[in-house]
This record gives sequence, C-alpha cells and structure tokens, in this order.
Amino acid sequence: MDILMQLLMSGIALGMIYAVIAFGYQSTFATSGTLNFGQGEALMLGAMVGLSINGDVLGGPYTNYWLMIPLVLLFGALQGVVVEFIAVRPAIKSKSEFGWIMSTIALGIIFRNVAENIWGRDDMPFPSPLPTAPIHILDANVLPMELMVVVGALLMMLLVELFNRRSIYGKAVVATSSDRDAAGLMGINTGLVITFSYALSSMSAAFAGVLIAPITLTGASMGAVLGLKAFAVAIIGGLTSGLGVIVGGILLGIAETTTGFYLSTGYKDVPGLVLLLLVLAIKPSGLFGKTTIKKV
Amino acid sequence: MKAVRILGLLAIFVLLAILPRWIDNEYYVHQVVLIAIYAVLLFGLDIVVGYTGEVSLAHAGLFGIGAYAAGILNWKMGWPFYLAIPSSIFVTAAFGLLLALPALRVTGPYLAMVTLAFGTIAEILINEMDFLTNGPLGITIKKPALFGFILEEQHYYYVVVIVFLVAMLLVNRILKSHLGRAFEALRGSPVAADCMGVSVYRYKVFAFAISAGLAGLAGGMFTFNELYIAPNTFNFELTVLFLLALIMGGRKTRLGPVLGAAIVVLLPNVLNDIELFRYLAHIIAVGVALFVIRHVISGKRTFKPLVIPVVGAAALEWSAHKLQEMTDWRITIFGFLILFVVYYLQEGIIGWIRNVIGHYRPQWVGRALAIDKAGEGQVWAAPDHAVKKDGALLEARQILMQFGGLKALNQVDLAVTRGSIHGLIGPNGSGKSTMMNVLTGIYTPTEGSVVFNGSTISGDTPSAIALQGMARTFQNLQLFGEMTALENVLVGLHHTYKSNLADVMLNTPRYRREEAAARMRAASILRFVGLEAFMNEEARNLPYGRQRLLEIGRALGLNPALLLLDEPAAGLTSPEIKDLIEIIRKIREHGITVILIEHHMDVVMGISDVVSVLDFGQKISEGKPAAVQSDPKVIEAYLGGQAST
Repeated sequence: MDILMQLLMSGIALGMIYAVIAFGYQSTFATSGTLNFGQGEALMLGAMVGLSINGDVLGGPYTNYWLMIPLVLLFGALQGVVVEFIAVRPAIKSKSEFGWIMSTIALGIIFRNVAENIWGRDDMPFPSPLPTAPIHILDANVLPMELMVVVGALLMMLLVELFNRRSIYGKAVVATSSDRDAAGLMGINTGLVITFSYALSSMSAAFAGVLIAPITLTGASMGAVLGLKAFAVAIIGGLTSGLGVIVGGILLGIAETTTGFYLSTGYKDVPGLVLLLLVLAIKPSGLFGKTTIKKV
Repeated sequence: MKAVRILGLLAIFVLLAILPRWIDNEYYVHQVVLIAIYAVLLFGLDIVVGYTGEVSLAHAGLFGIGAYAAGILNWKMGWPFYLAIPSSIFVTAAFGLLLALPALRVTGPYLAMVTLAFGTIAEILINEMDFLTNGPLGITIKKPALFGFILEEQHYYYVVVIVFLVAMLLVNRILKSHLGRAFEALRGSPVAADCMGVSVYRYKVFAFAISAGLAGLAGGMFTFNELYIAPNTFNFELTVLFLLALIMGGRKTRLGPVLGAAIVVLLPNVLNDIELFRYLAHIIAVGVALFVIRHVISGKRTFKPLVIPVVGAAALEWSAHKLQEMTDWRITIFGFLILFVVYYLQEGIIGWIRNVIGHYRPQWVGRALAIDKAGEGQVWAAPDHAVKKDGALLEARQILMQFGGLKALNQVDLAVTRGSIHGLIGPNGSGKSTMMNVLTGIYTPTEGSVVFNGSTISGDTPSAIALQGMARTFQNLQLFGEMTALENVLVGLHHTYKSNLADVMLNTPRYRREEAAARMRAASILRFVGLEAFMNEEARNLPYGRQRLLEIGRALGLNPALLLLDEPAAGLTSPEIKDLIEIIRKIREHGITVILIEHHMDVVMGISDVVSVLDFGQKISEGKPAAVQSDPKVIEAYLGGQAST
C-alpha cells in the first residue's frame, strides 16, 4: 500500500512540473495560435542559468537559491522575447505555420548546442536549497523539494490567473486570446501581447527548470523529453483549459512513476507519448478543451 | 528537345558509372552513397512535407526502423541484403501506417508534435528492447554478399545508385499521376478535396505510408553501407537535418532532395576544416556588403531589412576568427541555416533557380499537359450515376442543425425535383450556407435526415457523398491555387481512375488510357465553361470571375447528378453574370439538377423553377419565383417592418 502511495506522491510532484511547462504552451497558443517547439530548451536554459548563479559551475556561487529565482525568471522572460522576435513574429506576419514550427525547432537546437558548448555534455547535480531528508506524509516518503515543486507551481499559476482577471493588462491578454483581430481594432497592441505571452511562457519553463533541477540532474539534454511530455499534458488537458493541464499533468506524472517502478525506468517516457497519440486519435481537443467548428 | 533530354540523361548515367573510379577514395565513395541514401528518404519526406504540406518529425525514427529491420533480418536470420532491404520497406510502411492512422486526424503543430513523439518512442524502444536490437551496443553486420561475392564499397555504390534512380523514377511517376494531384489538392484546400471525392484523411495516410516505405528503403540501404547501427544515430537531430536538407534543396522537386542531401552530408566536412570555413565567412561578408551597397545606391532609405544580414555576417565573421574548431558548433550552424532558409529562401535552392529562370520563360511551359484535340464533342454529357426517374432527387427531412444553443437550421424540409433549378435565398445569416454544408456532409445534422437519389446520405463523409454524384462550389473560393486550371478539373475527375499504385509505378496501359481519357474530358469541360485559353495557367493567377467559373468546371468533373452552386455570381461583373446564367442553363440541359444559392435576385428569379426562402434557420416560403417574390413574409424578411400591413 505504501509503495503505491509513494508512487502517487512522486507522480504528483512530477506532474506539477509538466503542468507548469504545459501552462507555458497554453499561454502562447491562446494569444497567437503558435507554440514554442523549443519549450524544453527554455526549461533547460533556466536550470543551467540557475545552476551557474547558485552553484560553482561558472565561478559561483553568487547568491543563494531564493535570490537566484527572480534572476532566472528575468532571464526566462528575456529568452522568450528573443524566441518571439526571431522565430514567431516574422512567421505570424507571413501567416506561415510551417515557418514558426521550423524556426522554433531551429532555435531550440541552437540553444541546446550552445548550452552543450558552454556547460558541457555531462549531467550535473543541482544543490538542493531544502534539507534532503525525506519527511513522512501518509505512509510515503516525500522530499521537501517535491513539496516545494507543488507549492511553487500552484502559486505561479494562481498569480498569472489573478493577473489575467484583475489587471487591465491581463484583460488585454484575455481579449487577444479570444479574438486577436477584434482586440487589435479596439486599440490593443496585440503584437506586444504576443511578445508578453512568449515571455511568460519561457519564464514559466525556466521556473519549472529550477524547480525540478534539485530533484533530478541538470544537463543540456534535460529539456527535450520534458518539453514533449508537457505537450502531451497540454493536449490531454486541452490547449484552452487551465484546470486541464493540472489534471493532465498529475495523470501523466503518476502513469510515469508507476511504469518506471513496475516495468523499467527505461520505458518511463513511453506512456506519456502513447497517451498523446491516443488522446489525439480519440478526442483531439483534449479532455477539457472545447471543440471548434470549422467554417466553410 | 527530346534529343537534348536523352543526351542529358546519358551524360548523368555515364557520370554516375565512372564516379567511384574517378573519386578513387573509399571514404568519399562512402559519402556519395550516403547522399544517395538520404536522397531516397528525402523523396519520401517531400511527399509529406512538400506535397501534403504537413511537418513530419518522425522520419529519423522511421529511417531507424528501416535500418534495424534490415539489420536484424541479416544479423539474426542471416537474410542477404537483397531480401532484407525490400523487407524493411514493408516493415517501415506498416509502422508508418500505425502512426498515420491515429495521427493524421490532426494537422499542423499537433501532427508535428505527434510525429516527434513517435520518433522519440522509436528511439527509446530500439534502445530498450535489447533482446531484439542488442540495445545501446548496436548491431554489427558483415559486408553484403551477392552469390558469394563480397561487395566492397565501390560495388555497393552501384547497388545504391540503381535503387536511387529507380526510386526517383517511381516517385516522379506517382507525383505526376492522379495520386500526386490528390496529395497536392488536399494541401491546396482540404475541404474542396473532400468535396471532390478525394478523401483528405485517406490520401494523407496513403502519402504517409508511401513516405514511410521510402524511409524504410533508405534505412535498409544505410545498414549495409555503415555495417554498424546504434540507436542514438536515429535521434531528433537527424530528423531536423532531414527537414533542413529538404527545404534547403527545394520542395516539390526531385533535384532538391539530391542537392539537400549533398549539402547536409558534405557540410560537416567543410566545418572540420576551419580555414575553409573562414574563407566561406569572408565570401558571405562580401556578399552582404554588396547587398548593402546595392540597397543604398538604389536610393532606399529603409535600413530595417539591412540589420539582420549585417548582424548575421558580422557574427559569422567574428565566430570564424574566435573559434579554433567548428565541429562542436555543427548543430548551431544547422539551426541558423534553417532560420535562413525559412526566411530568405522559402522555395529552396532549386526553387530559387527556377524563379530566376522563370523570369525568362512562362512558368507553365514545363507543366503543359498534352491534350488530344478529339475531345470537342464528348462533353461530360449525362450524369454517371443512374438517377431514379420518380420522386425528388434530393429530400432533406426535418433538418435541425444546432451549434451550442444556436439553431442554425430549425426543422427545415427541402425537396428538389430532378432536372430542376432550385433557388435557395434568404438574408445573411439565414442558414443557407449551413444547409449547403449539411447537404454535402461537411456538417452532420443534429437531427433529421437527407435522402439523395434513393439512399440516406446524412452521416456519410463529404467524399463519400461527392462520389454518389453530388458536387458543389464554394462561396469563398476554394481552388487548388498552385495547380493549373486543367489540373483542378482533373482532381474533380479523380473518381474516373481505377488504376492503383502499382499501375502508376509501372505506367501500365490501363493507367495511360485512363489518364488520356481524363485529360480529354477535362479539356472539354474547360471549353464548356469558356476557360480553354487558361488551361495551363495556375488557378491563383486567374482573374476572379474566371476562378468562379473554374470552380464550376471542377465540380462538373465529378459528373454529378446534383450540382450545388454557392453564390456563383458574387463579385462578378454584369457581362460575366450573363455568361454564368447561360452556363447554368446549359448545365441543366445536360440533365444535371442544380441548387442555386444567390443574392442577385435577377439571377435567381430569372432561371429558377422553384425558390425556397430561409430566414433565421426556418423555411418561410417556397414556390414559383413570382409567387415567392410577392409573399409578404419574404418581403418582411428582406425589408423588415410592416411591409405586410
């Protein structure tokens, strides 16, 4: 019984990470109908920059973990702006779907290669800011860092939701999401809103990066599969549903920890990807998404 | 002209035949073989990316499956290469089908992600299933042997080159046939392809399976070229490399993949040589400088387009001097090449060269399809499908179409008599177009049924309904823009082909007969709608009014019993409208029943036998044009207020 509880707990912590990354996919998809195929690399860069500030990789540590977080968030936002400016804006202008898919992929592999050249190809441990002794909750051993992941993820999504609902800038984001052309005609600078959504998207990925890094290892290739599985979560939850990504993330996280335990850790990435194929085959709009009607 | 072509082909054959002796270096021969192998894969990738317009990130995975299929068959079962390689075609095509059946229900970024997931799963499974694949250690096989004769690199070269040439020929035949037109049509306008009886889903799956088969072929040949395969070869980077090669070489060409493959295979050699790389950086810097000078001299005062080239060239020059070796930055350079191609070289190198040449000769010269002049008399004539004599040809019963809370159609009945022109009018938003979409199967009605020619069709797919003899045009034009007028009509005639893939690849008499017949028929249809002068013009270049006529022509290609015209006169000038009325009359004389949605009252009232009026999703009036025109309800719907009092 307690082994199952254990798997559930770790699954939830892992799932919240996916939810945060998937949340980033949603934010850009809502405003511009585009996705960053290099989302996993944004996460990796966040973790790497965090490690450089907080660890001794590049002559550090410069500050502690908690002061590092705002710096990483800032870096993530800037990285998102760069992606939007180089890869997405020209493609939106020329209405080329192929264009933004290819150029965000291109930027993704560039970021990964640059990271390999700066930080090397090996995985590195990330110093944990919290004690590493597990605490007992409901028969299961939970790392304090895992609790921090759940709290941090929820907090971040809550803040963004509040921003969207309460502030006038948030209204601009919501308006752009529901109808970009109409919002533009009402005097909203939709280009700026899209840039903002990319900043937010990469920022949440970078945040996810520094949250997950102390639990796993940090390395240039850490992002690729995470980004892909988070997309699976975004699809399972529906690209338009905020609650969906949390449910989808936890679902996938648990599926993964149980597969890893009962089958083999080598196969742990498989259920998420198979789930992605199945959901798209059966209900492409996701479990919580709305179906749209095509107009002829 | 033909002599030149034969001489050219002969020269290529001779060149390919003497190439290994001429190079006389095992390593370079190996590289040339690799180029040919990649080119075969890229022919396949081009079918998916270039023709159907979808992004596939699964091709490294499929390539890996092909490589491992051949490798395992040879290593475990001792199959010789001439059996193992063909088997890997079928194994990989089967895997491609397995992916395509669920995945191709979605498009665009979704499909890209799904194919990426497939590629990742393939890599993981190859890595993990070590009882079959020997896991991360990889498989080492012996040199291929032909009846006891060991094939060295320069011998294997000939095997690959022959396969490459055959693959090129077959792919070319497929893409030039009705199958290739179907692939191109579903990219141009999916909904129109469906309504022409070309099922978008089915042909996409078909295209993907062919593409996977070619990836398998390439994978099988790769195994016997490398003699060692390991899982991490078939990773995401390889997929991206394939896409780069394809878009850089040029989509929708045969030469593009060859050129692209050569670039991605040879580029790492260039990067290994830092001196050569620096030299290239200088050339690019000079090129950009010339571009800037030209820009300034030509008097343009916008400096924005100069920023990116100048910054890019400066960064390249700086990194060329700063870095001592480039090998580690290979992927970064590939990434920048993708960005460059996506923004500055969208048609690829071959496409760019074609555009330059295209300045000096009309674009359609190469595409002109030979047409037999004999077709004048035999127009599409009568409908293909036996029409039942009695009763209504089409009967919609109690149609309810609900979108959320909105009832776009509310219990509408519609009966269309065989051989009549049935007008359907109503103010904007009254549900006319929804009715059209329900009849043609684009929407499935919430309630009610549609009976066409004696059988219930509501619930069928648009392509199935089209094949039963119902054709339509679109209010906002849905032509296949990059195809010529003739090719557009040929897509409508897709249903006349019985030939399968084998017929096309072998160019059998049956296929040639059907192709000739279809072209003759297409030409006569174009003559009928008055477009014979525009036969080989791309549809997007036609004037607006002609595009509307071409839509009618394409619909006539289906040889329908019922033709639905959705606002055919919208945006036409009055002489064009006169021609249109004449054409609609003639269509009826050929025994085709017509449903006409139109806002031009003179058109509807002039030629309709019966007119139905919709308003807010309900039928408010029906009858002879004159009776409907004086119906107070109709006047109220159009003019509002108290017209009836």
